[in-house]
Amino acid sequence: MIRFVLRRLLAAAVLFLIVLTLAFAVVALAPGDPMAPSDPRIPPEQAERLRALYGLDQPLPAQYLRWLGAVVLRWDWGQSYRTGQPVADLLFDALPPTLLLAGAALLAQYLLGIGLGLIAAFRPNSRLDLSVRVASLLVYAMPTFWVGLMAVLVLAVGLGLAPAGGMTSAAAFELGPAAAALDVLAHLWLPALVLGLSMAGDIARYTRSSLIEFQATEAGRAARARGLSETRILLVHGLAHAAPRLLQLASVSAPLLLSGAVVAEVVFAWPGLGTATLLAIQSGDIPVVLAATAYGAVLVIAASLAADLLLTRLDPRIRVE
Amino acid sequence: MIPVVATRLLAAAGLAAMLGWGCASDIPRDTTRLTVGMRFEYPTPNELIGPATLSYGAIGNQFFLPLMAERPDFRDGPPTWAPALAADWEFSEDRLQLTVRLRQDALWSDGEPVTAEDVRFSWLAQTDANVAWDYSFSKESIADVEVIDAGTVRFHLDAALPTVLADVSTGLILPKHAWEQRPFAEWRGDPGWFFENLVTSGPFLLENRTPGQELVLSRNPNYFEDGLPRLERIILRSATDSAALTNLLLSGEVDVVSGLGATDAQRIANRPGLRLIAYPNRQFTFVSWNTRKPWFQDAQTRRALAMAIDREAMVATILHGNAEVGSSPVISSVWAHDAALEPWPHDPPAARDALAAAGWTDGDGDGILDRDGVPFRFELATFAGAPARWDAMQMIQADLRAVGIDARPRRVESGALIQRMRDKDFDAAASAFAIDTSLDLRYAFHSQSIPGGDNYAAYANPEVDRLLDSFAVRPDPSAGLEDLHRLQRILHDDQPMLVLWEPLSLAAFDVELESVAPNALSPLANLQEWAWR
Repeated sequence: MIRFVLRRLLAAAVLFLIVLTLAFAVVALAPGDPMAPSDPRIPPEQAERLRALYGLDQPLPAQYLRWLGAVVLRWDWGQSYRTGQPVADLLFDALPPTLLLAGAALLAQYLLGIGLGLIAAFRPNSRLDLSVRVASLLVYAMPTFWVGLMAVLVLAVGLGLAPAGGMTSAAAFELGPAAAALDVLAHLWLPALVLGLSMAGDIARYTRSSLIEFQATEAGRAARARGLSETRILLVHGLAHAAPRLLQLASVSAPLLLSGAVVAEVVFAWPGLGTATLLAIQSGDIPVVLAATAYGAVLVIAASLAADLLLTRLDPRIRVE
Repeated sequence: MIPVVATRLLAAAGLAAMLGWGCASDIPRDTTRLTVGMRFEYPTPNELIGPATLSYGAIGNQFFLPLMAERPDFRDGPPTWAPALAADWEFSEDRLQLTVRLRQDALWSDGEPVTAEDVRFSWLAQTDANVAWDYSFSKESIADVEVIDAGTVRFHLDAALPTVLADVSTGLILPKHAWEQRPFAEWRGDPGWFFENLVTSGPFLLENRTPGQELVLSRNPNYFEDGLPRLERIILRSATDSAALTNLLLSGEVDVVSGLGATDAQRIANRPGLRLIAYPNRQFTFVSWNTRKPWFQDAQTRRALAMAIDREAMVATILHGNAEVGSSPVISSVWAHDAALEPWPHDPPAARDALAAAGWTDGDGDGILDRDGVPFRFELATFAGAPARWDAMQMIQADLRAVGIDARPRRVESGALIQRMRDKDFDAAASAFAIDTSLDLRYAFHSQSIPGGDNYAAYANPEVDRLLDSFAVRPDPSAGLEDLHRLQRILHDDQPMLVLWEPLSLAAFDVELESVAPNALSPLANLQEWAWR
């Protein structure tokens, strides 16, 4: 097991290095000058001065080595060209809201997906099953930004069931811990639901097919022969049978959640990594773009690694050696 | 069992959250505070190392003041200046010295007086190479800043330029006693340090900051204006997206939103309880025709393009009327605009005639005009992420197609397109400029601004150069009005750029707010006077 983990960690490190190098190459070779002044009255000498300050007057290989060295040795991502902030600080502020949103969305998608899959599996090929299947295909097909906009317009602006945006209410720093947590929850549920909805359809379909498949296996027939109730068969034994495959879906959905978070964060004015990345892309803030790409890669690699490790625990058929 | 319990817990928490939210939104309005929605980033209170954006400047002006502030009387005449930290000022006879006396009652929020030392310190910081302030060029004519006494400072000038007061008042006065402990060379490396050492001279203090979300400003008790600010607290909430800000306004979570897009403004118009304000800003959107390319070398062809394009339709459909069709780069909301100039009318038959007169005919019968074997087919570029301009490109394409011209719209990343425009490596491109009231347009039309500069069209006209040079050094800008009018007429005839429109800035306010007067300088202008009825 330890060798397996070490091997996976090594592979992850190599993959991370490749991502860093590719990201740097793509950004460095893209046309445009990030120091070009936006105001035409600012003389070109100012851009030269800033290039020198940020080391952009150095040859590209030297820039790459200096950047990579700072990242690998000190986790120093440089300074934002736009705001002057250390990029690590900027993303340190932005990462927790994204993790919270993505985590809540993951929870929402599994609760919804498994729930709907169970409902469908109880009565295969019934009208209810058909409705769940159609609904899960529909939500899977609908773009997150559209669902998000509609959710804000109808549920927040129209019905007032949720805040229209942000992670907290105005001046929430004055609230006590319990009220502050409730305030975040009030702001979280709608974006998490929207973000979780698209993958929930996929999970519902996987859950349904796994459970139906389980009922036809020897284990399923044996459980029924022992007189277990249908509910117990599906909820306990069926879900245990489906768990490895559902877990694999989690590693698939991690990148989707992260890319979806960019959209959801903008629609819901959620102050996370997605918002920071979008602003950086719009303004040519290369250090932030590079760091956000790397953070995204780390999250996806970590999710994949965690899912693999959990899978080996859940499914004894998988040999790690 | 576990999933069931988890589901119930989550449902209960969700319900509690929703109920909590419902209760929170029923709380009566707190009339001591105001919540403003803006698209902003505020990574540091030190403007010398912060982003050069309008929203950033609007917030900075709540904490710090300049010596003088430009009055928003742009239509009436050349810029005039109101005292801010300065009580009064006077020029020497040769206008090479400007002596400024500071207000006696101006204090920093920690109780220290604002002194001449602060003014000199600010100038040193503004001109320091390590600080690398974007607007350090505005201080080029200032040779030295001399402290006469605690309340008096003298600016020694290299030349008696008309822009001296603008140059002196560009940039805010910074607190020497709080910030001098940090060497200039370290300023850019640690912008957050200035939050920890923030003392202010403006109407507000910073009470709290949640990065990426909000700034909470509270009244500065040491502010020198009696009875101001009227509100105790301003909460600035940030969102990346204009539509998200609009949603916050419509749901009552913010009271004011500035920087609205035309489409979002449509959602707010006629909403009870909200008031939409459209006010001039200093921008104009244009298409530059690269005169080095075969299609755009003669003025007659460029005038024909102006007549082929229906700008009224763009303003009506894309901007929902929240703009004016432009006739000159000296925009209609500034004093020197030549009101006698009419925008070229949308007149496709006249455009066809002008094109024919310029030698453009459909020689090969393919529906596209050509001249000397060159088909009138070019790339029309604009920035990615500018949806209104992109929509305009589609309309221009259709308009030009109707007169036999094949324009091919293309979106290009903004930095890359600016570089291409400066290198003259483009055919035609849509962009926007923001002018200041110095009306020094040398950067856009002087022949010296062609190589690597912002004279994108590569337009060279000796008479235009002469008019621009003479206006830039005139001690009294109003005496140069005739020259500016002549300049506008030449540009109108030569059409190196087609001014598409002058957009209006859009902001929405709760109708119960009074004394709200946003202007081209700031959406939060006179914020200290705002109050609830």
